[in-house]
Amino acid sequence: MAKVFIYPATSLILSDLVARFGHKPLGAALGIRERIQTAGLESPPLQITPEEPKRGLKYAAVEVPSGVRGRMAIYGPLIEEAEAAVIVTEADFAFGCMGCARTDELILFTLRQSGIPILELKYPTNEEEGIAFVATIKNFLKGLPNGGEA
Amino acid sequence: MKKVRIAQLSCGAEYSGVQKEIYDAAESVGAEVFFPDIALADVERAVKKFGLDVKSADLKLMIARAMALVDGKIDADGVFIGTCFRCAEAAIVRNELRRYIPENSKLSVVSYSFTERTTAGTLLTRMEALTTIARRRALLAREEQTGITMGVDSGSSTTKAVVMKDNQIVGTGWHPTTEVLASAENAVTDALAMAGLTREDIQAVGTTGYGRFLIGKHFGADLVQEELTVNSKGAVYLAGHQRGASTVIDIGGMDNKAISVIDGIPGTFTMGGICAGASGRFLEMTAKRLGVDITELGPLAMKGMGKNVPMNSYCIVFGTQSLVNALAAGSSREDVAAAACHSVAEQVFEQQLQEVDIKEPVIMVGGTSLIEGLVHAMGELLQTRVVVPPYSQYIGAVGSALLASGFVKGE
Amino acid sequence: MAEYIPDYVGTVTKYVFVESPSMTPGELALRAYEASEGVLIKETCFGLQVTGEPESVDRLIEEIRSFDPNHIFIKDRGFPPGDPRRCRANLGGARPGYLGHEREFRLLRYITRGLEEIGRREGDETEPAPPVPETKPKLNIKRLQELIATEEF
Repeated sequence: MAKVFIYPATSLILSDLVARFGHKPLGAALGIRERIQTAGLESPPLQITPEEPKRGLKYAAVEVPSGVRGRMAIYGPLIEEAEAAVIVTEADFAFGCMGCARTDELILFTLRQSGIPILELKYPTNEEEGIAFVATIKNFLKGLPNGGEA
Repeated sequence: MKKVRIAQLSCGAEYSGVQKEIYDAAESVGAEVFFPDIALADVERAVKKFGLDVKSADLKLMIARAMALVDGKIDADGVFIGTCFRCAEAAIVRNELRRYIPENSKLSVVSYSFTERTTAGTLLTRMEALTTIARRRALLAREEQTGITMGVDSGSSTTKAVVMKDNQIVGTGWHPTTEVLASAENAVTDALAMAGLTREDIQAVGTTGYGRFLIGKHFGADLVQEELTVNSKGAVYLAGHQRGASTVIDIGGMDNKAISVIDGIPGTFTMGGICAGASGRFLEMTAKRLGVDITELGPLAMKGMGKNVPMNSYCIVFGTQSLVNALAAGSSREDVAAAACHSVAEQVFEQQLQEVDIKEPVIMVGGTSLIEGLVHAMGELLQTRVVVPPYSQYIGAVGSALLASGFVKGE
Repeated sequence: MAEYIPDYVGTVTKYVFVESPSMTPGELALRAYEASEGVLIKETCFGLQVTGEPESVDRLIEEIRSFDPNHIFIKDRGFPPGDPRRCRANLGGARPGYLGHEREFRLLRYITRGLEEIGRREGDETEPAPPVPETKPKLNIKRLQELIATEEF
């Protein structure tokens, strides 16, 4: 089982397919869950405190907006943990955790720099593309070093 | 009391760790923040219709939520727009929505660009103004002072008091703010003496400024109100321009306000207060360095040419250094005074006036409006004749006294 | 800042989406309840949310998937169900993530088609959805009220 970063990190489709084909999807929910379940200072709604943008300095310089650094504090560690990534580009209507285009650019760049195996594809717009989409993801996951279908 | 409902349009607040600060600021002024409810199809439609093709989905969401408010699909009493400081994409959306909402609805808007260091305290006055506009529209509609009322403005540098009777200013008092209550007492005593009245004659009291809560309690004020709404009201009242659009600029001792006013009620406004280099304080320091009283700085500046003095920084420390260097290099005191005025005006112009729609007349108020050189510099930057109404230095006190007459018994 | 004491520590929550011509979220919930074994199940308009110890949730998820593998989709959720910080009733509007779900929900039929085709090609086509229970229990009115009250999408 490989740890596979999914992009958009909030994607139901990618989370489902990665898990369905026997791997662990790394997405936004894991980062948020960790914060929601950790005691500390109250900072609703996501339990992202003003300390998080400071932690995000590891991934983006101080002149980068706080919202980008706060988001990178969630995604940075997940990307470091990832052994592969499945990326759906043109994710222009992924809100909230994925709602900042600048963060999204930085996530993609960081993933591409990391050297892990990456699959990049587009959302299907018809049944034919749906078949290709599922097949491509399945094949990619099967080919991962510690992959193989569960 | 029913809570004022403030619609939040934002990008990045949750991820900057400041959402709680926004909630807290709203709660402390009896308001609640909510997120306008829309569906994905609304977002797609709205972005297309609005025509601003941004990439960030949360900015698209802001646009769609703004349109739902303007279209009346969702009710709100006011709008808070917040995005990350230093994000260009968000700044464009923030600016356009700040313009779009008041132009197409009756909703008042406050906008802010936050960092992870933004606190509820910073947002408080803005939220208070927003709730006041929503809650006290009837009170703010008042255009005439009645009975005998007093207004006290406890500012960061000076404390001002005004006594008004039958729509006339009959007494004024002005003292530097040292100990808040003592300064207020002195200003009130002077104002009453000038009016020939006693405290018993006063039928209603209003307070404003940084010390408004403390002095409000002390004087048993009927109205304790932040300075954004009070100054807007006072400015258009004194300038005789109560109807229609105007812009009020108040360069204060600690922060600056730029308010776009419609019919005496603030539409959009900004408050800046990070840098002392853009404040009255800088001009005070300049006057001190030039060995003149602050009241003489303005006339001195009018005789000089600011551009003869190189100013490399807006910072109060480095800016003062530039002035000192210029003096040492032989610049005239007049030119240095003019350069200081220009520097403050330019900084306010660049950092704040870009955030409100400048509509004529431009009314300058507050103590610094008496510095002729500063008013002149601002007029040059804005390419307009800036209006300085009589009693402009008492603006907060006049606005408070005017609004307080809504509490005179029998009114 | 006030101290934050978390609930549901050590649990995981997952969304279960059903986009099926033969199974409604209500039917999915009924079958999931039967198999729940202590895992908390919350019915939603699109399916379920399940919360519990990671192993128990994994086991239940496996079982739920088997009800209708090509029409049931699952993802992690950061919050426990009904959390007031994410609840529509508290926020005044849907949390941003909900709109993202809306976006992907439209595409699920293509994914379903893909899964069916891949399954067919590999000759391991799964059985179609099992029959609907004989007597369809009516939704208790109190339960309905609860569902409406805690609506959070």
